[in-house]
Parts: sequence; structure tokens; C-alpha cells
Amino acid sequence: MASVELKGLSKHYGAAVAVDDVSLRVEHGQLVCLLGPSGCGKTTTLRLIAGFIEPSSGEIQVGGKVLSSSSRTVPPEGRKMSMIFQSYALWPHMTVAENVAYGLKIRKLDRATIESKLKAILSTARLEALAERYPGELSGGQQQRVSLARALVVEPETLLLDEPLSNLDANLREEMRFEIRRLHDQYRYTTVYVTHDQAEAMTTADLIAVMNKGRVEQLGPPEEIYGRPRSEFVARFIGGSNVLGATALDESRVSVAGGVLRTTGRTLVAGRSVAVSVRQHEIGLGLQSPSAETENRLRGVVTRQVFLGATRDYTVTLDDGTELRVTTPPGQNITPGQSVWLHLPAEQCRALAEE
Amino acid sequence: MTRSFDLSRTVLAAVAALLAAMIALPVGWLLVVSLTAKDGGVTLANFVALFTDPTFVDPLITTLIIACSVSAICCLVAAPLGWLVARTDMPFARTIRMLVMASLVTPPFVGAIAWEMLAAPNSGLLNQLWRLLSGMPPDEALFDIYSLGGLIFVISCYTFPYVFILVANALDRMPGELEDASSMLGARTWQTARLITVPLALPTLLAGALVAFLQALNLFGSPAILAIPAGFHTLTTRIWSLFQFPPKPELAAAASVPLLVLTVVLLRAQAMALGRRGYAVLGGKYGAPRPIRLGLLRVPAVALALFVLAMPLFLPYAALFNSAFSRVASRIVGPETITLHNVKFTFLELSSTMPALKNTFLLATASATLGALLALMIAYIVARKAVRGYRALGFLATAPLAIPGIVLGVGLFLAYTRPPLALYGTLWILLIAFVTIELPAAYQQLGSAFHAVHPELEEAGRMLGATRLRTLADITAPLLRSAVIATWCFIFVATIRELSAAVILFTSETKVLSVLIFDLKESGDVGAIAVLSLTMVAITTVVIAAANRLHARPQSRPA
Repeated sequence: MASVELKGLSKHYGAAVAVDDVSLRVEHGQLVCLLGPSGCGKTTTLRLIAGFIEPSSGEIQVGGKVLSSSSRTVPPEGRKMSMIFQSYALWPHMTVAENVAYGLKIRKLDRATIESKLKAILSTARLEALAERYPGELSGGQQQRVSLARALVVEPETLLLDEPLSNLDANLREEMRFEIRRLHDQYRYTTVYVTHDQAEAMTTADLIAVMNKGRVEQLGPPEEIYGRPRSEFVARFIGGSNVLGATALDESRVSVAGGVLRTTGRTLVAGRSVAVSVRQHEIGLGLQSPSAETENRLRGVVTRQVFLGATRDYTVTLDDGTELRVTTPPGQNITPGQSVWLHLPAEQCRALAEE
Repeated sequence: MTRSFDLSRTVLAAVAALLAAMIALPVGWLLVVSLTAKDGGVTLANFVALFTDPTFVDPLITTLIIACSVSAICCLVAAPLGWLVARTDMPFARTIRMLVMASLVTPPFVGAIAWEMLAAPNSGLLNQLWRLLSGMPPDEALFDIYSLGGLIFVISCYTFPYVFILVANALDRMPGELEDASSMLGARTWQTARLITVPLALPTLLAGALVAFLQALNLFGSPAILAIPAGFHTLTTRIWSLFQFPPKPELAAAASVPLLVLTVVLLRAQAMALGRRGYAVLGGKYGAPRPIRLGLLRVPAVALALFVLAMPLFLPYAALFNSAFSRVASRIVGPETITLHNVKFTFLELSSTMPALKNTFLLATASATLGALLALMIAYIVARKAVRGYRALGFLATAPLAIPGIVLGVGLFLAYTRPPLALYGTLWILLIAFVTIELPAAYQQLGSAFHAVHPELEEAGRMLGATRLRTLADITAPLLRSAVIATWCFIFVATIRELSAAVILFTSETKVLSVLIFDLKESGDVGAIAVLSLTMVAITTVVIAAANRLHARPQSRPA
């Protein structure tokens, strides 16, 4: 096992830039999620790490050794990595046991070792009963477990996962998320995990790299990505955030829709326009005008209200026409058309980096 | 791509050189010779002759009339039949579909010979039957197969199955929901058929019409058998006649050019027609279409289908079997007159049978092996983008589709009768011709087989430490095995029945089965012709059946 380091990694296809100057360090035993919408470059990054494509510039090091650079690329079979594919890529002409044992045979292990390793991994993945089946005879979840077993049995230095859960239905997906995290805690392989599903990333990752347009927009632990988004893209992509256009008044206060908000996140320059993000469920909603305090209070009219069972979802239109989404406990029922006061706590109003 | 595929440049260069020798050289010489005067200068005289001399202009016009008529007839027959089979509750629909496809096993020139036996003015069995029933004198005939109409009829018999398959498959794939949506909005069954089903199938029918047109345009066997006795020529028979003594290859080259150009243009048109068939490629889960109830029309529908099938299948085979086992071909064979005389004569006495069979098997085996290997290599390179310039390879491999067999024959003749590669008179030139002709279909078959093997299946092997070659051997090859065998059989069969290039390129030493049958026509030995034709069809059927059985075998055990 070893750390994986990407240094200024780029991949161009003609004029199109798929991966743009990505630098990232995955420590030994860490699980990093590359998270982003489709076309953000996350899968290309993973395939660069796997060695299926050569970088246009920059390099990839594993355990201090350069595996990829624009001049030299170690082929996939020489990298001591394993990969879980989106399609699972189980070979239809081999049984479950043959699929799982393939990597061991390639490594020319003796028969007894192959048998014992095969047995152990099949039991860990709860596949003993299916060993002689063909992939076509398995359910989606079972196929997924076979593909996990096939990747883990060779004890790779690095494990790569390419949207491994996207072909499963919702219940199974939730189960497999915990399964992947459990196996990771058990084996502690350095892991790179590609997904577009933030819940998947939150449950499994030690570190999340949010990608957009071929770049890493923000890298950090799940709590930090969620709690302190640094850009409008991250704020919108992770969890539901309102992003307000505002003008800075001084180092920390901005003016928006006739009110004044105190913000956190960074030091502002008076007069500059700034984007401020506030999560839906962190906004307070009330009929009464608040006390003497006027900062971080805004006036608006409820234009839509939906009961969602555990919560209520409001749309409130401010005086200047800006719409805000607000999530409240279900007990508070305000009908559309009524005037309301919003409370946006200063510590939840994050001034985002300028784009 | 990684640098581990060190051979890539060498492989690419070898494949490209081979394709150039097979395609660029013949077509190049064809164009050069057609533009060369007797004294070696550049001239357009050959083309001037082509468009002013009535012995060229008439065949050109005749060919266009034939192609247009065949195309129209095929659509008129194939569209209703395809719809009946794919979309209605007509009884025996599966059997009828199978039989139409089975009629494709018949080489068109064998069909033409069989129809000669049925409808020649004097000896034709159908004409004899008619005279018997009506009491007409012996010089009266109901049908005359040696006529423009007869030729159009026979070509249509063996062309409409292509259109039928296209239409029936398109109707199969059409999502049932598209029709259901129309029914939900209140349209009756027949309204839905007219407003939804037919317009959706139209591009396919147009493509089918073009296929039929091309087939009729480039066919050599049937016109050679039926038009020449009737005293007229098509473009293909005219080109062939220019190779009879005294040979005029420069005129043949010039006459080949319009055929080549027309084919290229029509193939473009066909690709465009099929390219708009957007509904076929849509994903998603669609229900199977509901069959339309024919009610009282079920019986007439089957009767119509069987009547259509009689033309390419029942009647010709009855005539062939009759001639094969009868001493006199123009008599209906009975229990007393049945004889194996023709079989004995063909295989034991006719001196050219065994060499021709040997040549045919040798060539078919070699062409199938070489063609399948070449197609496999090109399909792999293109599907996995293994080397730079893979697109050019794919294009070259499909290019022979646009070269009619007889044109390729002329081109190869011109290219390989001169040094450094004087291959004319050897089996090699026939091998090149057959591999070239079959390469596009083989490449397309294997290309789609590669499409079915998800690249991730190979990548998974690489990630587990297998090299590219090891992955090919362990994963790709077993998954493609049945497709490769099917392609091999396909080329084998197609080679056995090829006539139009072989008839230009054969010499007395390199006669093959199809050419032998064609040659026996001159001597009028009908019994031997029937026996050899049935032999050819039997070989073809056995190989196709074997390929189908292999292809149908599932990759994994059923659940």
C-alpha cells in the first residue's frame, strides 16, 4: 500500500480540456471521493490513475514512484491496482469463482494458495453459495459483490472505483455504501472513488474532492465541504443552498434585498459584489417582526409551501424579487400570500470566493 | 495508449498494404486503363464510345429499366409480407419468415437456371402443363422466361428477401408503445397502421428499395443466363462479353466506371435513409408490439404468403430435383423413370467436376480463414482504437462494398496480368477477389461483435495484471469465438456461390463450381447442371445450419 499523488495533472483531447491541472494527495489507507456532475473530468482522472490513458502534462506518483507522465506511462497491468467498473465488467464466460480467481492465476500463485484466498474472499463477500454460477445468473447486488471480491482478492496497493453503485436500485445502493466503507475499514487500501452522488460520497469518503470543468473546486473532509463551501458551485452541488447576490458594505457586512447581512468565510472589500450562500434549513421563518435587532433579518412573502412529511418546504420572495428556499419543521404552517420575517444567522451566511 | 503494443506500427502498415493491394490497385488500374488510348496517351475516347455506341447505350438503358422495376416489385411484395409476418396473427408466421430467408440460400444464377427449366417457351414445365390443360399447339407458350419481363421476374424472386428481412426486422424493433399511444388517443387499428406504423417503416423501405436496385444493377448470373439467349445485354453481361475473343479490356474498364459510380452514390443514399431511422436506436424499456388481428383474412394471408414463396422456392426446387433425377429434363419424373444417371455422370464421368470441387473447397477454406482473420484484426484495431489511423482502416475495409463483383474482376484482371504480380491464371487472383468481396460484411459482423464486448471487460483483465495479449487470449477470444466461426462460415458460403468476379478471372486450370455450372450451360447438359446446383445449395445449407447452431448456443447456462 502506498500514497497516491497527482501533480498538475492535465488531459486534453485536441482543444477540449477534460482534466485541467489537478493536484491531489491521497494518503496511505485513505478513501478519497472524486465528486462532481457528469462531464466534470472525474472519470478521466480515474482512468489516468489506472493507466488507461496518458496525461497531456503533469504526473502521477504512487508510493513516490512516477507511474504516469506525458513521456512515460506504466501500463495498467503493471500498477498493482484494482478497479471496480461501472458495468462491473464480469466476464460472462467464466463462473463467479473463475472471475474472482483470475487475478490470482495471472500472478501465478500455486493452486493451494489460490484455493484458500478464493475461499476467504468469497466468504467475506458472502458469495460461497454462488461460486459456480455464471454472472448472467446473478442479481445486480450479487454481481456488485463479485466485482468487489475480484478486485480485493489480489490485495492491490490502490483500489479504484468508478461509479460502482450507479446500476443498483435505491435500497441496495444504501446498503452497498456501508458495505464498501466496512470493507475499506477492514482492508485499508488507498482508495479513489468516483461518484456523482453526494450522499454516497458523504458516507464513504475520508476526503472529498469536488470537481467541476476538469478542476478540483474544493478538497476537504465531508464536514468541511458541507459546512464551508468555498465556491458557488460547491454550495449549490452539495446540499441545498440559497446563493444570494449581494454588495459588500465593509469587511464582513453585505447589503441584500434592502437588508443587511453579517457574513463569515472571508474578509470582504467594500463596494465589491459578492455571492453569499445560506442552507435552506438554517434559515428561521416567523410571522412576528423580530426584536430591535435588524441585522440578518429580511422581509418577504410566502409564495409556495409544500408539506413533505418530515419537513415543510417554503419558497419566500423578497422585496426585490429574489426567491429563497426555506425548510422548516412540519408543525409551522404558514399559507402562501402571508408576509414573513426571515432570520439568516450570521455564522451560516458564507461569503463565497469570487468566481 | 501505452507503449506496450510495440507491434502496432508494423501491424498497421501490413494491414494497410494488404488492403491497398486488394482495393486501391484494381480500382486504380481500372481508372488508368479506361483513360488510356492504344498508343499510351490519355484519352476520353473509351467513354465517348460508351455513351454514343448503341451496343453500350442500350445495355445501360436496359439495366436501369431492370433495376427500377426490380426495386419497385420487391417493395410491393416485401412490405406487405414483412408486415404480415411481423405485425399480425397470421398462422405459420415464423415458418414463413424462415422460408423467405431460406430462399436466400439459392444463388441467383441457380434460380435463373431453374426458372429456365420451368418457363422456357418450348421445354418449360409450366408451359407444357398449360398446353396439356388448354390443348394449345406445341409452338404456343404461356410464359417466355427469355424476355425482359422474365428476367425482371427472376431477379425479383431472389432480391425481395433482402427487402423483406429489412422491413420485418424494423417492424420487430419498433416499440409497441408508439402504436399504443396512438390507440390511447382514439385511433383505430388501421388508422394507427396508416398514420404511425407505415411512416415509421418508410425509411427502411426506401433503404430496401436501394438494396434491391443495387442488387439488380450489379447482378451478372441471371442476365447472362436469360438475357443473352433473348438477344439483349445488361451492363454486366456487356462487360463480360468484352472479355470474350477478341478481348477489349480498355472498353470493359470504361464500362465498369458508371457501375462503380452509381453504386457509390446509391450506397450513400442508402446510408442516409437508414441513418434517419432514429426509433431503432432509442434505449429504454419498450413493450413488444401487439399483433393485429386479421380475423377472416387469416387464410387468404397465408395463401398469399405461400404463393409468393412458390416463386423463389417451391417451383424452382421442384424443377431442379426433377431435372437431376430424370433422364430427360423436360419430362416430369415418375416412379418408373427416376434415375441416378445424372448423379453418376456428373461425379464419375464429367472430367471437370472433381477439379472444380477441389478448387472451390480450397478457395472457400482459404478465403474464409484469411478473410475472417483480416476482418478480426481490423475490427479489433478499430473497436479499441489501438493505433493511430484506425479510422482509415475501417473505411478501407468497408470500401469493397461499393465495388461490384464484375468491376472488381475487371480491376484485378488489369492489375495482376502485368509484372511484378502476374497472378492471372492462378488461384491467388481468385483468392484476392473473394477475400476483397467478402471483407466488408465480415468486418461489419465482427465489428458489431466487438461492440457487444464491453471494453471494461478487457480493462478489468488489465487491472488485474494481465497484459494486452493475455487479455485478448483469456477474455476477448472466448467471447468472440462463436462470432468468428459464424463469420468464417459466412465467407465460406459466399465464396462457393460467387460467380461475377470468378467468371472474369478463371482460366481452364482454375475453374470453380459456379463457373463450371455456368459453362455447362453452353453444352446444354441440364441434368449435370441440376445435380451441381443442388450440390452447391446442399453444401451451403449444411454450413449455414452449422453456423446457426453454434451462434445460438448461449454463453452461459440459463438461469
